[in-house]
Amino acid sequence: MPVTKILMEGIGEADLRSLDVYRQRGGYRQWERAVREMQPADVLALAEKSGLRGRGGAGFPTGKKWSFLPGKTFPRYLVCNCDEAEPGTFKDHMLLEEAPHLILEGMLIGAYGIASHHAFIYIRGEFKRGYEIFSAALEEARKAGYVGEKLFGTDYDLEVTVHRGAGAYICGEETGLLNSLEGKRGEPRLKPPFPAVEGLYGMPTVVNNVETLAYLVPILERGAEWFAAVGTERSKGYKIVSVSGHVRNPGNYEVPLGTTVREIIELAGGLRAGRTLMAVQPGGGSSACIFEEHLDWPYDYESMTKAGSMLGSGAFVVFDDTTDFVKAAFNLVRFFAHESCGQCTPCREGGSWLERVLERMVDRRGVPGDMEMLSRVSSSITGLNLCALGDSIEPFLRSVIVRFPEQFEQRILATAEQPA
Amino acid sequence: MSAPPLLARSDQLVKVTIDGIAIEVPKGTLLVEAAKTIGQEIPIYCYHTKLGPAGLCRICMVEIEGMPKLQIACNTTVTDGMVVRTKGPKVEAARATVLELFLVNHPLDCPICDKGGECDLQDYALAYGRGSSDVADPKLAKPKAVDLGPTIVLDEERCIVCQRCVRFDDIVARESQLVVKERGARDIIATATGRPYRHNFTGNVTELCPVGALTSKTYRFKSRPWDLDRTQTTCTQCSVGCQQYADVRYGTLLRTMLVEEDPISDGWLCDRGRYNVGFYESPQRLTQPLYRKNGRLVQVGWDDALILWCKALRQAIAASGPQSVGAIGGGRLTNEEAYLLQALFRALGARNLDWRGGRQRQATPGRHGGALAAIDSADAIVVAGNSPQERAPVLWLRMQKAVRENGARIVTASDAHSALQSSRDSARVALVWDGCDLATGREYAQAFEAVENLSAFITGEQGNARGAEAMGMLPRSGPGFSAADDGLDAYAMLENARNGELRVLSIFGANPARNANDPAAAAAALAATPFLVVSDLFMTETAERAALVLPAKGPFEKFGTTTNFAGELLPVNASLQAPEFALSDGEMLDALGDQLGVALPSSDDAHAIAVNLIAKSAADFTLGDERFAPEYPTAQRKTKILAGGGTWSHDPWLAGLRSEVS
Repeated sequence: MPVTKILMEGIGEADLRSLDVYRQRGGYRQWERAVREMQPADVLALAEKSGLRGRGGAGFPTGKKWSFLPGKTFPRYLVCNCDEAEPGTFKDHMLLEEAPHLILEGMLIGAYGIASHHAFIYIRGEFKRGYEIFSAALEEARKAGYVGEKLFGTDYDLEVTVHRGAGAYICGEETGLLNSLEGKRGEPRLKPPFPAVEGLYGMPTVVNNVETLAYLVPILERGAEWFAAVGTERSKGYKIVSVSGHVRNPGNYEVPLGTTVREIIELAGGLRAGRTLMAVQPGGGSSACIFEEHLDWPYDYESMTKAGSMLGSGAFVVFDDTTDFVKAAFNLVRFFAHESCGQCTPCREGGSWLERVLERMVDRRGVPGDMEMLSRVSSSITGLNLCALGDSIEPFLRSVIVRFPEQFEQRILATAEQPA
Repeated sequence: MSAPPLLARSDQLVKVTIDGIAIEVPKGTLLVEAAKTIGQEIPIYCYHTKLGPAGLCRICMVEIEGMPKLQIACNTTVTDGMVVRTKGPKVEAARATVLELFLVNHPLDCPICDKGGECDLQDYALAYGRGSSDVADPKLAKPKAVDLGPTIVLDEERCIVCQRCVRFDDIVARESQLVVKERGARDIIATATGRPYRHNFTGNVTELCPVGALTSKTYRFKSRPWDLDRTQTTCTQCSVGCQQYADVRYGTLLRTMLVEEDPISDGWLCDRGRYNVGFYESPQRLTQPLYRKNGRLVQVGWDDALILWCKALRQAIAASGPQSVGAIGGGRLTNEEAYLLQALFRALGARNLDWRGGRQRQATPGRHGGALAAIDSADAIVVAGNSPQERAPVLWLRMQKAVRENGARIVTASDAHSALQSSRDSARVALVWDGCDLATGREYAQAFEAVENLSAFITGEQGNARGAEAMGMLPRSGPGFSAADDGLDAYAMLENARNGELRVLSIFGANPARNANDPAAAAAALAATPFLVVSDLFMTETAERAALVLPAKGPFEKFGTTTNFAGELLPVNASLQAPEFALSDGEMLDALGDQLGVALPSSDDAHAIAVNLIAKSAADFTLGDERFAPEYPTAQRKTKILAGGGTWSHDPWLAGLRSEVS
């Protein structure tokens, strides 16, 4: 399996944080070309034609998302979502610290594509180093005339604002992010209205993931056809997969969509000697597990959905036979309960209840009925929530309860052992 | 209790089928409101007609044909052809789930909860809940009995985080003091700053709260709702005329509540209207007529009091003519009482009649007077004099609503000219004046004379000032602003009383010794008055100087009508038994009439006359009109509504609040 390098080109080899190095390697040429030679509609057409889909989790077609903006409402904003917090995902973190100019160039092109004059980047609070690196890169780019007024001698102005989050998973949800960016409590908004109509400061807004925007640069450079030629029928192009868990070489690997699950595991060095695969969580903490029967399935949006899971943000967690799935489930449910904003009832109360029951089971203090409760409550809260967070609690838990019920059963006290 | 359906303002109708019943509602109507039109209840916690959808509680799930997932009825706009089911296994399962989840951490302390019996969580749990629970783990412990501010106590454990209180504070009261702190299941309601929760409208959150989380300090642990007798009446503490419920348990007033469908208050109460009612139980109430003998007030019976009063009036008139007697009051009486007051004194030939014992000079806006709806549709709302925020708090809420919903602009300027400049491009102007300085009123009226669509309102100081004027309690005009012989106004009466020319002065529900423009001068004049009669609930600064003090009934202890600042006739209904020897001002006047041999209309006749006078209201004057003159220099004094004197300073319910406001 050859290593692909598109966005990751040069990472680990050259200091892409330096504007000079980035420029020597062709940096900002696509940005200049877009402003000088293209209309915003051309950029949008390229995005649509390339088949690029959102790399943040939902996989929504990027060009289509942009096209929802009402035609004549200004100002409008582009927001780059760099609040990467999905358990198991660390691709944006790497790009932010290693290739800040690439992100910025992608943001600039994206903003131009929706004819916006102000782009924002919302950086996860914990990424302090990345924030400093990106801010320095932005200042360099501004001095070099890539950001600001009358760009490249045209009438086009574009300002970029950097904003740091304060450490909340929910601010990665696009409307929670917008609230936080406005200085409000980071709670997802009630939809409709959707951000494309009423987003940041009540104006039409597009929120795109870091990786999504970064792919605009090679798409402009090499053409939509080049991108669309790779991948499967409805999952085009490349994806950075953050492989972690029980593999020998965890890390970020860029692959064409449609690469098989087995190939990705092999890219990361395969399992440790003597271990067998139990499960893979292919799309971050919110996704259900897939199992050995899916090893030769292509890793793309449709196949992962068909396998009962999702591709999500591309966080690829491998579990071998040393895994305690009760602990793993507790770990994730505790995460979601902790990160619930508490606005809506099912997520707030359901998450905390499931967490308490799982905590008992980890301590081997389960009582008869707990497994039924876990299945019943996790499934009944799904679909009732205001945002996707509450619906993210069930998938992993349910998939491992169904697959490894004995691990859960072992944690239930026999009736005789129960405290009176 | 619940508000009528809030339908969208659209001429276009859409057809929607709810539970098999086809209806037509205006386009843009929310599903939860559309269902109300056929009486179909969809349970709600976070949604509120006046606060809009929030989508937080998730109890209002319904099934919509063609949609794979259940949808929340509170944020779904009906579309043509929509088929909705508010019943059925899917909907019922979702409701049961949400209710089960609410109860995971809810303490279920209903037996000691003030809300028990009128709690939406109880009601829906009973109607839609599972009836049993799988919760085997301890509930989360949170702070109970949190002292949120001078009026409110918060129980964090009972809170279901619907955020109605937070949104009320933000959207309606525009205070933004309350916020949600922490997150997830640990979240709590608190003030953003950590300082006490305090503004003019805090009490409303206790009624918005669907559970027993927010409770009034004055009502905590006092009663079960089913023990309360409810009477609807009009709040007379300011001139707005909000409807309110008086809830009485075994003869004791325990709380007042807002009337959700009331168009005047729009379903809100200010804290003064809500909480300044504990004085009815005050031990300091006057309960016996008092007569000053050798410099000391001693108890007398009503018979003696009436004889003394009658004798003083007769002697003065016989010796010095009817110009030697006068009466001040009416703004705190009912319309009927104000009518009887002037009728009795005019029958004696007296012309010295005035309701204006305080700083306010005028209450009726005359030909520019508008209906309340004019505020809702105004482009600009011009404030002249003191802000209604303190004088007429619920009017201020209405103004904020006009800003919020219709883009109105509130104009406060240093003078009428700049106010006109600021509202130049406004076609519809509402002018809100405090009625104190006549020159100011005149200045604004003249400046805005050319505005075609001008509606003027006078907020003022006393609840029924406008009614008193219409009943004829003015020195220069009789009932219905009919022509009348010139008499002395309140200030001139006090001046004449000081030098002994005015021999008998009768004051009804007014306190010039505290509220007059120059209280010290008024107090001195009252002290020098040869025979001063004061009817009031308490021993006010004015009553202290009286020769005869008469114990009066409060507005919750009598029947009648009052007139609000917009000229609407509103009912005053008794809900309480007055102290044994207290009489209403009307009853006193009636008895005095008998004593003097003056025939007064019966209470039914007085009522009919009052209704007629308010309906007629042919007032051709405008703001600052000559008939309200002469003018007196009026110092601009800004007072907080919750400060000041009157019944407030005698209210044992709110000693804590008083000390914080001072």
